[in-house]
Amino acid sequence: MRAAVVGHAWRTPLGSSVDEVVRRLLIGERAAQRNPRFNAETYACTVAAAIDVEPSPSRHQRFLRRMGLLAMETAAEALAASGLHGSDRVGLFFGYGGLRAYWNDMMPALEKQNEQGDDSWERGFKLFHPFWMLQHLSNNAHALTAEALSARGEGATFGGANAGAQALASAIRALQIGAVDAALVVGYDTLIEPETLVELAARRAAATRDVTELAAPYDQAADGFVPGEAAVALVLQRPEDVRDVPVAYVEAANGADGEKGEPNASTIANVVRGLARGDEIVDGAGRADTTLDLQERSAIAELLGSRAPLCCIMGATGQLGAAAPLVQTIALAALLRRQTAPPIARLRDVVEGPLRPLMKAESIDARAAIAISTGAPGLVGVVRVEVG
Amino acid sequence: MTVAVITGAGVVSAFGIGVQAFFDGLAEGGSAIGPIGSFDASSFPTRFAGEVPTDIASMAETFRNEHLSGGDTHLQIDAFRDRKVVFGLLAALEAWNGAQCAQREQEAALSIALGLEQAFLEDFAPIFSSGRIDWKAESDIAGANIRIRSHVGLCADLLGKLLVLRGPTFVNASACAAGGLAVAHAASLIQRGAASIVLCGGADSMVNPLGMGGMTRLGAPSPRNEPDACRPFDRRRDGLVIGEGAAMFIVESEERALRRGVTPLARILGWGSTQDAYRVTAPRPDGSAARNAMLRALSRAALQPEAVGYINAHGTGTQLNDVAEAQAICGAFGRHTDSLPVSSIKGAVGHLMAASGAIELAACLMPFQRNLLPGTAHHREKDPLCEINVIGEQPIEANIDITLSNSFGFGGQNASVILGRYK
Repeated sequence: MRAAVVGHAWRTPLGSSVDEVVRRLLIGERAAQRNPRFNAETYACTVAAAIDVEPSPSRHQRFLRRMGLLAMETAAEALAASGLHGSDRVGLFFGYGGLRAYWNDMMPALEKQNEQGDDSWERGFKLFHPFWMLQHLSNNAHALTAEALSARGEGATFGGANAGAQALASAIRALQIGAVDAALVVGYDTLIEPETLVELAARRAAATRDVTELAAPYDQAADGFVPGEAAVALVLQRPEDVRDVPVAYVEAANGADGEKGEPNASTIANVVRGLARGDEIVDGAGRADTTLDLQERSAIAELLGSRAPLCCIMGATGQLGAAAPLVQTIALAALLRRQTAPPIARLRDVVEGPLRPLMKAESIDARAAIAISTGAPGLVGVVRVEVG
Repeated sequence: MTVAVITGAGVVSAFGIGVQAFFDGLAEGGSAIGPIGSFDASSFPTRFAGEVPTDIASMAETFRNEHLSGGDTHLQIDAFRDRKVVFGLLAALEAWNGAQCAQREQEAALSIALGLEQAFLEDFAPIFSSGRIDWKAESDIAGANIRIRSHVGLCADLLGKLLVLRGPTFVNASACAAGGLAVAHAASLIQRGAASIVLCGGADSMVNPLGMGGMTRLGAPSPRNEPDACRPFDRRRDGLVIGEGAAMFIVESEERALRRGVTPLARILGWGSTQDAYRVTAPRPDGSAARNAMLRALSRAALQPEAVGYINAHGTGTQLNDVAEAQAICGAFGRHTDSLPVSSIKGAVGHLMAASGAIELAACLMPFQRNLLPGTAHHREKDPLCEINVIGEQPIEANIDITLSNSFGFGGQNASVILGRYK
């Protein structure tokens, strides 16, 4: 089952408008820079691809931090772009990468505790802000978005690296069975957090070189990906309910294999197999790990042929976690409409192997793309994007 | 249409380990709420909870010895600090074994509701510096532990490894509606043929300093530290009591279950979800969105309201929630409301947060297993604002075929799931 994309909005490291992002993708630009969010000099990974805009002032700041606020903004913009309005028939599906606990908020509660754990309320827990728990609630962005946009239909909040794909698949299903008439799907995630960078370093997943030395995914010199961040929203409807030509049609699926780090290539292939028709270009997961990258290419080539064009949006935007499938959907829709596939940013020395990693923008006839995103532990998200 | 059935169930609750302990506790009409013993809560305003009556360390040791082998240090060390992870693993094993799952069932998908990411204070000790966390000081050691050993998907991750599950994983983080939604999602996967078997449910524990501290500052728990701290739908109610535990289910197609010779415990007939779109901190007063969740569940099940024989309410015991839910039930069931028994088990085992929808769905199996409807612990004085037929403290005998469970989460996420007796 596929759904029609009738509205969208995003905040990405390459920009907040589709035209700007696509322009930068097509010239092979990469958003990576020295980590602008905090001083990461002593971290293994010092680079990041960050969003360069801040959320507008909002009364929701008492409950939500930066990424949640950006997610709310994109949700409102996407719904407005669709021309639809909130109602009992508009569903809301959120995917976010994982709780960001803002540990420093806990310091007033923690710093005077002792090992025995006695008198702990007086030693600090009484200092928690009354809304501290709400600020850390897993579905607070979902709840506030529902309230702000009067989205009262079916919905759920998913967590994890492939939560965006889960949210998309659930929304499409709700449309299919008629539980809702429109679905707002929102994804937000940032990998540019201290504890996440530490985790990525422990898994040797993130790049360790300086910006000037960074190698692209699928390059012989690849040594890890660039952590990124994004907030993104799509509005979906059943194709038969859409009068104008939609932005795109989208399908989604996800999988997992229990690996502690990245999923196996066979897991990726199994999920892709459920969506692929054989006529798509490929937007790769872009882990920038020469072994994983090659395994991914081999597995996908068995489904789509060894000459299928391979691009990598996340090579330009940085890895986007749960937001990836939604960003890929918007970007690929725009690129397919332009009948142009973007180069893999800064790809210099391609590892020999199947698929055809693009080193420059290329005209294409394809009307559809398969986009892959992955994350730990062993999680896969895949979307198929098609334009009419 | 493919019918989704429950073929196995597992429960960890304040009544103990296992479904039978849970049903026995409910059947006795008792309450397992008591003083917190797992950490020193003596200085906290909230000192009572529905705590699982076991030493987590010994439980973890037993679990390790009985179920784990080999040298996977990730499984052997990291899982057992987090109470909800241990509860989830135990409940899952009970469900798995009860459904007679074997190697062929390892194709199962996993749809699980989990609570907040757990922070372990000891992980922070090496990186405290002048009232802030200095990530740089120990970035390769303590930081990695914080992130890797406590992430929100840890229980799902470990369950997948422990049972060698090969299907996709869905981690539902829809607050207190998550447990119900996780099971509904499982039934949806079965119904549309996206999975043939799913392990699903929820696990949570906020019985720790951060959880209790945060909830207390929010003002959600009852201010009284008494065994009857939570009094759902009672005129004197004054707040919830926090619980902990897990409930997990094996959900598969009826055809698959019968083919492998397993008798289902119940059918999953319908489900519905809505958003209040009202406030993060309060339910929509007229209960209209919650009503719509129940109506959608009825519609999906192709049932008239009169078919439902029992509602297990979300019934938190807070002033606003109980009134809104009563309004919602009246709105959905109309004239049938007067003869429709409703109860809440939160006075007995507490509010299990992300796992509440799952354990309350397990309570909806009790009428099928024992022909008993659970009572509402500590419900003694009817509230005229809650014009529903609340079962009192003791369970009542009844032979009914359809049960409905409500789960209404913080922020107004609502879920209703309908089960049918398997005949």
